[in-house]
Amino acid sequence: MVSQENNESNTPLKRRSASQWAVAWRRFKRNKAGIVGLIIVVGVVFVGLFGDFFAPYPAFPNNGWQTPFYNGDVRTAPNSHYLLGTDVLGTDILSGILHGTKYALYVGVVVTAITMAIAIAVGAIAGYFGSWVDNLLMRITEIFLVFPSLLFILIFVRVLTLGAGVGTSFNLLGIGIPTGLSIVIFVLAIFNWPGDARMIRGEFLRVRELDFVEAEKSLGASNKRIIFRHILPNILSSIIVVASLTIAYAILLEAGVSFLGFGDVNTMTWGQILENNFSDMRVVWWAELFPGIAILITVFGFNLLGDGLSDALNPRLRD
Amino acid sequence: MLNKLKSIAKNGVKRLKLIARSAMFRYIVRRLLYMIPLAIGISIIAFITMYAAGDPISLIRAGKPNVNQATIDGLKAYYGLDKPVPVQYLNWLANILQLNFGRSLYGGQSVNTLIGPEILPTIELQIISLLIAFAISIPIAVHSARKPYSKQDLTVTSFSLFGVSMPTFWFGLILIIIFSFTLGWFPSAGAKGAAGFLWWGNPVLDVIAHFVLPVVVLVYVSLAQNIRLIRANMLEILRSDYILAARASGISERKVVYGYALRNAITPAVTFLALALGGMLAGAPMTEYVFSWPGLGRQYVSSTLSLDFPTIMAITMLITVMTLVANLIMDILYVYIDPRVRIR
Repeated sequence: MVSQENNESNTPLKRRSASQWAVAWRRFKRNKAGIVGLIIVVGVVFVGLFGDFFAPYPAFPNNGWQTPFYNGDVRTAPNSHYLLGTDVLGTDILSGILHGTKYALYVGVVVTAITMAIAIAVGAIAGYFGSWVDNLLMRITEIFLVFPSLLFILIFVRVLTLGAGVGTSFNLLGIGIPTGLSIVIFVLAIFNWPGDARMIRGEFLRVRELDFVEAEKSLGASNKRIIFRHILPNILSSIIVVASLTIAYAILLEAGVSFLGFGDVNTMTWGQILENNFSDMRVVWWAELFPGIAILITVFGFNLLGDGLSDALNPRLRD
Repeated sequence: MLNKLKSIAKNGVKRLKLIARSAMFRYIVRRLLYMIPLAIGISIIAFITMYAAGDPISLIRAGKPNVNQATIDGLKAYYGLDKPVPVQYLNWLANILQLNFGRSLYGGQSVNTLIGPEILPTIELQIISLLIAFAISIPIAVHSARKPYSKQDLTVTSFSLFGVSMPTFWFGLILIIIFSFTLGWFPSAGAKGAAGFLWWGNPVLDVIAHFVLPVVVLVYVSLAQNIRLIRANMLEILRSDYILAARASGISERKVVYGYALRNAITPAVTFLALALGGMLAGAPMTEYVFSWPGLGRQYVSSTLSLDFPTIMAITMLITVMTLVANLIMDILYVYIDPRVRIR
C-alpha cells in the first residue's frame, strides 16, 4: 500500500496545473507589442549569428586597411549593386550593418551579464542583510548614480585603449573577439550597474519580509540557501525584465561612445560606421541613416520585449 | 527713529537665528557638507585614472619622436608633472580652491579662459530643454494614463518608447540632414551665425534658429523618459483606494485627476528630474558634438581625445558640481512638493 502510494507520487502527473512561466507565456502571447518585440529580437539574433554568410560583401577590416574595399566604389548612393549605398571608405552599408549585428549583440549581452552580476551581488547583500552593510553599499551606489557616468566612460575608454596590443583581437574558444570593443564593454558595465542594483535591493527587501522566508529561517536554512534557492527565483521575473532593458541601453550607449570617436576603430560596429561618415554626411546621408535605423530597430525590439515581459511577469502592474 | 531701527535690527537677528535653527537650514548645510567629500572622491578617481595611464607629455609625444629630451623635461617642469602623482593632486586641489584650473597641455593656455565661455551655452541648452520637456510631458502623460490602452494612449506610449530607443545623436543627425541640408530652414552647427551672415536676418532670431534643432533633440529624448515615468505612476495611483474614495464622494473628475492623482504622481518625477539633469549634463558631449555646440561637452570630447588632462579634469569637476547642486535643489523642492517628506 505504502509503496503504491510512493509509486503514484513518483509517476509524472498527466494534468499538472500550469506553472508560473506557462501562465506568463500565455499572458505574453496576448500582448501584441511584446510579440513584435520578440520577433524583432529573434530576427536580430538570427542576423547576428548568420549575417556574415548572407552579407553581399566581406567584413570591413578584410586583411587590413590596404585591401581595396568592394571594387573601390566610394560614396555611391543606394543602387542595385549596393542596396544601401557605400560610405566614405567604400564599405557597402548593407554588409556593414549585417556584419555589425554580431557586435551589437556582443555588446548588449556581455554588458548586461556583467551589469546584472554586479547588481545582483550588491542588491542581494544590501537587501538581505540590511543594517550597516545596506547603508554602506547604498551610499556607494548613490555615488555612482550621481557620477557623470558618460564622462567617466569616455576617460576610462580613452586611457585603457592606450595600452599596447589594442586594436587586435584575442582568441576565445576559436572565436576572434575584438580587444578594443571588449574594453569598451567592460567600462560600460562598470558604470551601468547602480540603477539595477537599487532595483534588486528593493525586491530583496520586499521578498525578505514574506512569510515563507520567515518559515525557511525558522527551519534553520542557511543565508546562502535562502538567497539562492528562495528569494532569487522569486525575483527572477523582475531580473529578466531589467536585463532585457539593459541590453537595449547598452547597445545605445556603445553606439554613442563609438560615435564620439572612442570606440574600437578596428571593429565596424554600427556606431563606428556613423562616426566614420559624420564629417561627410552632407553627401553620404545614407551612411548615417541606415546604420541608425538598424540601432533603432534593435533597441526598440529589446525595449518592446522588456515591456511585454514586464506586463506578463508582473501582472500587478497591469489591470 | 533710533528705537525703530534697533527693533528692526533685533527682528532681523531674531529671524536669522530662526532660519539658522530651522530644520531646513540644517538639512541644507548637512547636504552641502556631504557634497564636499563626494566631489573630492570623484576628483581623486578621475585624477588617478588619467595619471595612471602615464604622464601626458610622454603620451602626447609618442607620435612625435623628434622632440628632444630637454624640451620634454622643461615641459614637465612647467606643468609640474615631474612631481609624484599625490603631490600633483594636492597642487591641483590647492589651485582649484582658488578657482584656477591650470593650463591646457596644448599651447599652455589657461584652462579658465579656454572653458570659461563654454559654461553658459551648455547650461542654457540643458535648462531650456529640460523645462520644455517637463512642461509638455505632464499633460501628455496624464491624458494618456486616464484612458489606458486606448488608441491615444497607444500612440503616446509608442512615441515615447521610440524616443527611448533612439540614439540621441542619431536623431540630431537626421534632423540636420532633413531640416538643415535639404530644406535649409535651420543652421546645422554652432550657437551663433557668423558676423556677415545671420539666420533669419536678425541677431535675436539668429540665436533662436541655432537653438531649435538641439533643443528639439534633447526635449524629445527627455520627454520620452518623462512620459513613461509619469504615466506609469499615474496608472498605479488612479487605481488606488483613495482615488476611488475621492470619486465616490462626488468630486469632479478634473479635480480627482489634477488635484489628487497628479500631485502624487509627480513627486517621483521630480527626483527623476534631478537625475535627468545630471544625465543631460553628462550626456552633453553627444548633442554638442553633433551640433558643434560651443559648450563644455564638445570641448570634453576633443580634450579627452587629445589627452589634455587639465581640461578634462576641469570639465569633469564642473559637471559633477552642477549635477550635485541640481540634486540638492531637487531634494529641497521635494520637501515642498511632497508634504509626507519630513526632513530630519
